[in-house]
Amino acid sequence: MIPYSRDPHQIIPSCAVKIIGLGGAGANMLERIALDGMEGAELLALNTDIRTLGSCLAGDKIQLGLNLTKGLGTGGDPEMGLQAVLEAEQAIRESIKGRRIVFLCVGLGGGTGSGAAAIVTRIAREEGAFVVVFASMPFAFEGKRRRDQAETALNQLVVLSNALVTFDNNRMGELVVAKQGIHEAFVAADHMICESIKAVIRLVVRPGIINVGLDDLMSALRTNRSRCLFGSGMATGKDRAVKALRNALASPLLDQGTLLKEAQTVLVHLCGGEDLTLFEIELLMQGLQKFVPENAHVLFGAAVDPAMGDKLSLTLISALPEDSLAMAPREALSRADDADNPELDPSQGFTNPPASKPAAVEQAAQPVPTTKAEEPTAPAAPELADFRRSLTVAAAPSLVDKEQPFAEHALPLQTAAAPEKKATAMVAEFIAVPDDKPEKIEQYLEAKPVPNDDAQQEKAGSLMDDDLIEDPDEEHEPPADDAGNMDWFGEKKYEQDQEQGYHEETNANPDLEAAGFSSLPPKRPPGTMPWSIDKEPKTPRANDAPEPPKLKLGIKTNSPQSELSLDSAPRGRFEGENPNVFEGEDLDLPPFLRKKK
Amino acid sequence: MARRTKIHVGLEIGTSKTCMVVGEVKADSAVKILGIGETKSAGVRKGEIYDFSQTRACLKDALAKAEDASDVEIGSVFLAVTGAHIMGVNNRGTFRLPDGEPVVAAEHVQEARTIARDVHIPQDHVYVHPIIRNYWLDGLEHSTSPVGLFGKTVEADFHIVHGIGTRIQNSIKLVRETPLEVDEVVFSPIATAQMALDREQRERGALLIDMGGGTTDYALYLGGVITACGCIPVGGDHITNDIHLVTGLPFSKAERLKVTEGDASADPLSSVGSVKLEDERGFADVEVNRAVLNEVIRQRLEETLRLVRQRLPAGAVESIGGGIFLTGGTSLMRGFSELAFDVFGRDIYRPELPEISGIQANFKDPRYATAIGLIRYAQILETERAEPPGLIGKVARLFWPFGK
Repeated sequence: MIPYSRDPHQIIPSCAVKIIGLGGAGANMLERIALDGMEGAELLALNTDIRTLGSCLAGDKIQLGLNLTKGLGTGGDPEMGLQAVLEAEQAIRESIKGRRIVFLCVGLGGGTGSGAAAIVTRIAREEGAFVVVFASMPFAFEGKRRRDQAETALNQLVVLSNALVTFDNNRMGELVVAKQGIHEAFVAADHMICESIKAVIRLVVRPGIINVGLDDLMSALRTNRSRCLFGSGMATGKDRAVKALRNALASPLLDQGTLLKEAQTVLVHLCGGEDLTLFEIELLMQGLQKFVPENAHVLFGAAVDPAMGDKLSLTLISALPEDSLAMAPREALSRADDADNPELDPSQGFTNPPASKPAAVEQAAQPVPTTKAEEPTAPAAPELADFRRSLTVAAAPSLVDKEQPFAEHALPLQTAAAPEKKATAMVAEFIAVPDDKPEKIEQYLEAKPVPNDDAQQEKAGSLMDDDLIEDPDEEHEPPADDAGNMDWFGEKKYEQDQEQGYHEETNANPDLEAAGFSSLPPKRPPGTMPWSIDKEPKTPRANDAPEPPKLKLGIKTNSPQSELSLDSAPRGRFEGENPNVFEGEDLDLPPFLRKKK
Repeated sequence: MARRTKIHVGLEIGTSKTCMVVGEVKADSAVKILGIGETKSAGVRKGEIYDFSQTRACLKDALAKAEDASDVEIGSVFLAVTGAHIMGVNNRGTFRLPDGEPVVAAEHVQEARTIARDVHIPQDHVYVHPIIRNYWLDGLEHSTSPVGLFGKTVEADFHIVHGIGTRIQNSIKLVRETPLEVDEVVFSPIATAQMALDREQRERGALLIDMGGGTTDYALYLGGVITACGCIPVGGDHITNDIHLVTGLPFSKAERLKVTEGDASADPLSSVGSVKLEDERGFADVEVNRAVLNEVIRQRLEETLRLVRQRLPAGAVESIGGGIFLTGGTSLMRGFSELAFDVFGRDIYRPELPEISGIQANFKDPRYATAIGLIRYAQILETERAEPPGLIGKVARLFWPFGK
């Protein structure tokens, strides 16, 4: 037998991976990742609020808006977040430099998250990294304005990022029992995000027996304006294949597998210890067949990792067009304006000129399945190897050179395209609006002067041209404003009061600034913060609107009735009887648990 | 015709209790309840027997108690059966009179009835009741047999109740082994309706819902005749089970919680705070949020009532003029009437007490509605079959004054 050793270059070292937590929610996700132990990967926290930043466990920290917000939050204003991140652009660029994969964790809807996410993504792309964005969407009760901000940011991220995974906070209620505390709900959500990141890293970092790589990942996520479906399950023991599949499908992003029914492409990745058998894989894939449409493109990958022990992990990744995912009516409502009006779609502002780039990327991804199917035991798909080498070697044949033009004309494009695009968009909006909401016209007419003022600001280098278009709308929403959300915490209210105070007297009171709001060096070890002395080390999520736990029952999205699994649920005294099925419902199960309205 | 006093016995083997009622039908048709023998059921689930030896023991116990209470030796019973397999269908038989016979004769009517009864039922099913609803003569409704009238076409409307034969046979077999004779097998809601609904209510249209321990039986009367009946295999036990599954309490506590604290009305005031259950053995108390408890109960009851509503023929609920009558043990649930009103949008009643004398405390309870209804059913059957007994019958009566 000829000994064969794997080329070490084909494995992306985990030090080439950077995980960025942006904003308050991002910091929380990052913390969970740090606590769960992500071996090797570097963690970078970006935030405007130095208190949150100070208590964060991440190794790297960069404060955004050193001069702009002076250590306070953005108060829910994405414009502030945008300006703040521009201030710190250089520092971020240096920190990301040379990383091949960047995971960006961000909670959209707030100021820092929504405002800065697009810029951070762009910077990372310009530095030549593959960017996977994990974005969490705000709760429905946080109001339309935050939802709109989140949608706007998301639309940008869809275009800018290589892959986008969205978590809807409204779905969070499904992660935990209704009774459990809000803390546990957030922990569960963060935990899921962490698992996802780990799974994606496993996917792209380790070469498999049947390999899947970035190319497959991208083709699984390719659908335009799509939301990612993600499920990851791990199991041990005798029937671990079935259990892992069940756990993966239990992911709230998959809706018990019902959402997979419409998927075009599904990426399935299996990772097991050395005792992974072909039979198990077969069993698992058979089980999965029930959930995936027959003609779907299944990208299958399997890897053996001795570190997994007797565990088997399954990762399902797919994407659905956004409109087929619009479950919550409220969500759909808030998106309706954008959907009706293609002119308004901010993604076009970015996609049109560099259109060659995604296409090229896809082309690179296309040939993989065919070649792979023929020689499944090939150590690594050649395309992937190409890509990796291309990152290390300057003369890059495949991905990097295609990314270069994007980086080059991204900026001029912004400034040039923005004004004219805005003009057409405004016109389009006026045409489109009368159909559904006549009273809205008046609002726009009244608000007309506002965008003009903003337009000047925009020339100062703003990226978020589409945000401007939505501005008039926002002007007329009384409760929105800086506070954005109701003051659940008195503390937050206090903060805002303070912040406003500072804005008024920033110049008049320079010594207050010196007291420690803006003088934080980017990397300061936790514990030495002036704030952390009198505060708990882990500040509650002041930034992304904590909600009272009692609301959790009420905000259940009316997702379609999940499939009834007859053998899984306990049935109390009717255990073991013939299922008492009437019109597709097992009458022996409590209607309360069937979530019937 | 003045007749002798007769004694009928109704037997209901329910999911939660086995109940035997001894009733005396006086010569003037008045009914007097002589005694009730009741025992907790075992081996019955959703109205059907799954453990014969246990159920037999219960039946014997109930028989002993009933004989004791009424001081009557019981020889035969009317047996109420239920179960999800039993269902009712309407069928109409049409018979066109042969030429040259302008007057409807008895055999013509008989022929129409035969055709009407010839409804397609599953192979393993048997008829429980073929109930004649009414006759039609040339498109005109007649509530009695049109024999002797002029006409061309005779039609007979039947409501046919059928169920799986072997299951009904097994119920009969169980009773025979006791040993008791079975006079007649009656579908539970039909028996209950005899007691719960009077003639006027049936004329105006009434829906009877008998929600018991394991099943919910219903019978709809429109225009004085039965229009639909059936059984949904969901009852009070399911509520207990739901509470058990949702809260994790053991069954005994869940049952107690259901009976003492549950409320099915959506009244927010009844869902404030939480219930504390004390443990008599000194273990930790359990606390259950009232909102959750009531929501569990309400969703179950609401779903069940909606299932009933779904199964009724289209437009039937709108034509109910008399109202909806709730009976059975689960109907004692607080707020059930409000819930039923929310679902059906009709007047909700508890059945009025019929003119029955006896131990009032017993038959006031809706839990005995079916067993007492059986006595009524027996009485009605008796009057229908009121052909004078022949000589042998008369001689027999001297020795055995009960029974037929």
